[in-house]
Amino acid sequence: MTYRLLRTALLPGIAQAMFWFLLGSAAALSASTARQTIATAILEEDAEKKIGLINSLIGNADPAIKPLFDAWKEDAIFLYKAEGSATKVPVSVGEEKDTDGRQAATRIDDAQPLKAADGQPLRILTADYDSAEHDSAIRTAMKGVLDLLDLASPDRARRIQAIEMLGKSQEAEKLPPLLLVQKNVTDTKVRHALREAIALIQLKDEKPETRTAAAQELGALGSIASQDFLQQFVKDNADQPTVARAGTAALAAIANHVRNVNIVGTGFRGLSKGSILLVAAIGLAITFGLMGVINMAHGELIAVGAYTTYVVQGIFATGVVLQIPTFFGQPITVRLSGMNLSGTALDNYFLLALPLSFLMAALVGLALERSVIRFLYRRPLESLLATWGVSLVLQQLFRLTFGANNVQVYSPSWLSGNWTVSDVIFGWNRVFVIGFAIAIIFGTHLLMTKTPLGLLIRAVMQNRQMAACMGVKTERVNMLTFAFGSGLGGLAGAFISQLGNVGPGLGQDYIVDAFMTVVVGGVGNLVGTVVSALGIGLMDQSLQQILLNPVLGKILVLGMIILFLQWRPAGIFVTKSRSLES
Amino acid sequence: MTLSRSLKFLALAGAITSTIFTAQAADDTVKVGVLHSLSGTMAISETSLRDVLLFTFDEINAKGGVMGKKIQPVVVDGASNWPLFAEKATQLLEQDKVAVTFGCWTSVSRKSVLPVFEKDKGLLFYPVQYEGEELSPNIFYTAEAVNQQATPAVDYYLAAGKKKFYLLGSDYVYPQTTNLVLLEYLLSKGVPLENIGGGFKKDESGKIISAGKYTPFGHTDYQQIVSEIKQFTAGGKACVISTLNGDTNVPFFKEYAAAGLTAETCPVVSFSISEDEFRGLPAKQLVGQLGCWTYFQSIKSDANKKFIADFQKWLKSSTVPGIVKEGRVTCSPMVLSYNGVYLWKAAVEKAKSFDVEKVVAELEKGISFDGPGGKVTSQKNHHLTKNVFIGETKADGQFKIVKEYKDVFGEPFLKGTFKPKTAAK
Repeated sequence: MTYRLLRTALLPGIAQAMFWFLLGSAAALSASTARQTIATAILEEDAEKKIGLINSLIGNADPAIKPLFDAWKEDAIFLYKAEGSATKVPVSVGEEKDTDGRQAATRIDDAQPLKAADGQPLRILTADYDSAEHDSAIRTAMKGVLDLLDLASPDRARRIQAIEMLGKSQEAEKLPPLLLVQKNVTDTKVRHALREAIALIQLKDEKPETRTAAAQELGALGSIASQDFLQQFVKDNADQPTVARAGTAALAAIANHVRNVNIVGTGFRGLSKGSILLVAAIGLAITFGLMGVINMAHGELIAVGAYTTYVVQGIFATGVVLQIPTFFGQPITVRLSGMNLSGTALDNYFLLALPLSFLMAALVGLALERSVIRFLYRRPLESLLATWGVSLVLQQLFRLTFGANNVQVYSPSWLSGNWTVSDVIFGWNRVFVIGFAIAIIFGTHLLMTKTPLGLLIRAVMQNRQMAACMGVKTERVNMLTFAFGSGLGGLAGAFISQLGNVGPGLGQDYIVDAFMTVVVGGVGNLVGTVVSALGIGLMDQSLQQILLNPVLGKILVLGMIILFLQWRPAGIFVTKSRSLES
Repeated sequence: MTLSRSLKFLALAGAITSTIFTAQAADDTVKVGVLHSLSGTMAISETSLRDVLLFTFDEINAKGGVMGKKIQPVVVDGASNWPLFAEKATQLLEQDKVAVTFGCWTSVSRKSVLPVFEKDKGLLFYPVQYEGEELSPNIFYTAEAVNQQATPAVDYYLAAGKKKFYLLGSDYVYPQTTNLVLLEYLLSKGVPLENIGGGFKKDESGKIISAGKYTPFGHTDYQQIVSEIKQFTAGGKACVISTLNGDTNVPFFKEYAAAGLTAETCPVVSFSISEDEFRGLPAKQLVGQLGCWTYFQSIKSDANKKFIADFQKWLKSSTVPGIVKEGRVTCSPMVLSYNGVYLWKAAVEKAKSFDVEKVVAELEKGISFDGPGGKVTSQKNHHLTKNVFIGETKADGQFKIVKEYKDVFGEPFLKGTFKPKTAAK
């Protein structure tokens, strides 16, 4: 049996491979045909025929295909039309431009220089001509052709993508190259992709036993991508119960795998959501929780951090324009010139933005404490109203300085990818925010318990008068504590700019959640804030997963919080104190 | 004391503004209403429409006006407050007695002014893509109907070989209605129900009353939804149809890119992102995703080139207080406002009267105008026949046109018109 399998699957594979090598060596021979096909495809008006022409290049190992497709995709192929002539000629142009901006042109169909009627080489001005059109359907077709070339790509991700693409095509003629590749692959991820792709193609094999084996293989792999194909497979094989049963069993196995993926995924998403809550609330846990200041402007301190990130990004890139409002007449326009960086250098803006957003928010917090809050330590209700007013002022300042529209903050490339482990996606931005939350908590904990400043902060927060009697400069400690809490809010802002919008209303989106987190955790207790943030995050994501509805989940979480606070008004962790005030 | 003083001040300010508007009223002018939100959440989008309308009026006035009369705009602020829209509409119709009004963006603002326009026999031109299922004798919908935006996008996807469709939108009337129509349309094209993602809500009788996934305005957490899309599209040949509004697109597309989904593996077509909205979106994450409108700034025609150049020139010299002059773009709702003014002008000149009934009668007979997006023709059902374009977003916030559907007839009543096709085997 195995021998037969080998014979049916491998032998044609080897034959095909030889064919490929032959093709490769005969590249020069077939070059003109591939070029001509592409030139015809570019000129073809009918979308289906166009894609058909491109697909006819599958299996063609002509080295001219890839650069031509790349040029097409990058709008570097132009449709030259001689004056007085109705026909267009697709051409590519050389790098070098002469003084008029003209470039040497090469015909796509025969790789010869473009010639005028008198036989002289013609240089053209590309702006005068349209570039060859393409859309996603055409690019997908080109990709299909390139994927076969990509099977040998040194880039692992591309190789895997090429393999997946071939598998999903379910075309029997794609099988031999895959089997050939499989023989000398050691990379586990590539092997996994290959097994999946081969099994997908074998689902359509002529022999029922191969089909059954393929379905079993897909089930064993827990291949989420194959679900649609397996469903079709069960329908197609309805007349052969044993084969169909293998398909059903595979589907059940995959459904089981999906369930596990969702459980782990929900856990991770809950942690990341909790981390965002935590990062947004930790500053508030200090200013509100420890100091007892109801700071309604905390959301705007988060926005200060986010806008700082935006400005730093602008300085690294092409510059940024700020309209500093004045109370009289025209605003002052400040233009910060950019450093015009790109690539990794630009990506690193975020590393500088983190400490700066902390500093900026801390400075704003300091100013706020000195100008408003220090007069209101004993009057929480007034501080609520005053800081609310401050938050409105700050929002309007953002609007005047940065415009009412949201601003664009780019995520560095090292924050916009993901790790996929057994189909669970771990987004780098999310992993980073979790790690960051841990770092902040750890840092805050160290500051509070291991440094002299932490000791003073705790002393002042427990009993202001007594601390003053002992010679602690309570004014200064208040000031520093508030600035530190505000700075943490700024750090949160730098983060949130990587996940969502940066606009004047940013703070409003987070202030309620932040207060909720601190209150549920227990006012005055950092550990409580951590537990409540993670708890709320996990609950929110689990309910979303179960109810499949983003709104209902949030409503239920809020309902539960209300009930919870009825039961334990002081939150999860109650601060025990001997002071008479409480 | 202070309260009454500030009230007096307000009254005074109001009196001054109204005198400014009425001071020049004379026989050689015709009053035209502009009813958009110039403050509040919708101001970002709607202010652009006010700007383009004022530009159009100036352009027409410079060429002699309408039937020899100069257009005198009466600009009122709906302030993103729907009941206020109705009050302002009453003011325009009963106090200022405008000949025509151009305005509204959200469907709820249109629904709020509709009874006012019907009662006072006014005429409103509405320029923004909407869900259909409405036809008032006193409103002209220059907007994209569902079959001029949503169904062509589906046609495009089907032609590209897409088999699975995920519906996602903001939770309000336009996405909900559009997705229900799309559901019927997809079923009529032979797409089985299980290939339509996002979930369904059914009433007791089992009839589907809501299709797709909805998030509230200002939603920020798209992790769950993106992971659902990732699983839904794992088998390939899938796409997303998004009616997400405004800034919720930012967290959605950031999450989408982070999950490794791209325009090549699973494209997203968005019906609410035009060039104007793009100014506040991270372009990099959207490259290659699709948009579908009846106008794109990138259309290569002389009419469009002239329109863009004239508008930019007008902006530079404009004295409208607070107008944004830098980084301005043109987009579909703006051009549909512009087309609306010219259609109205043509109808008035044909009817030789500003009378609403006569103007509407002329419009219903069919008037054509060669606008920046190509020819538009008014229809008997108060919608427009126009070209539909599908564009791919580029990093500079513009669209590259990949497909054009010529002269699509605007049809507002689509619900129930598509009969499900039994899946061909």
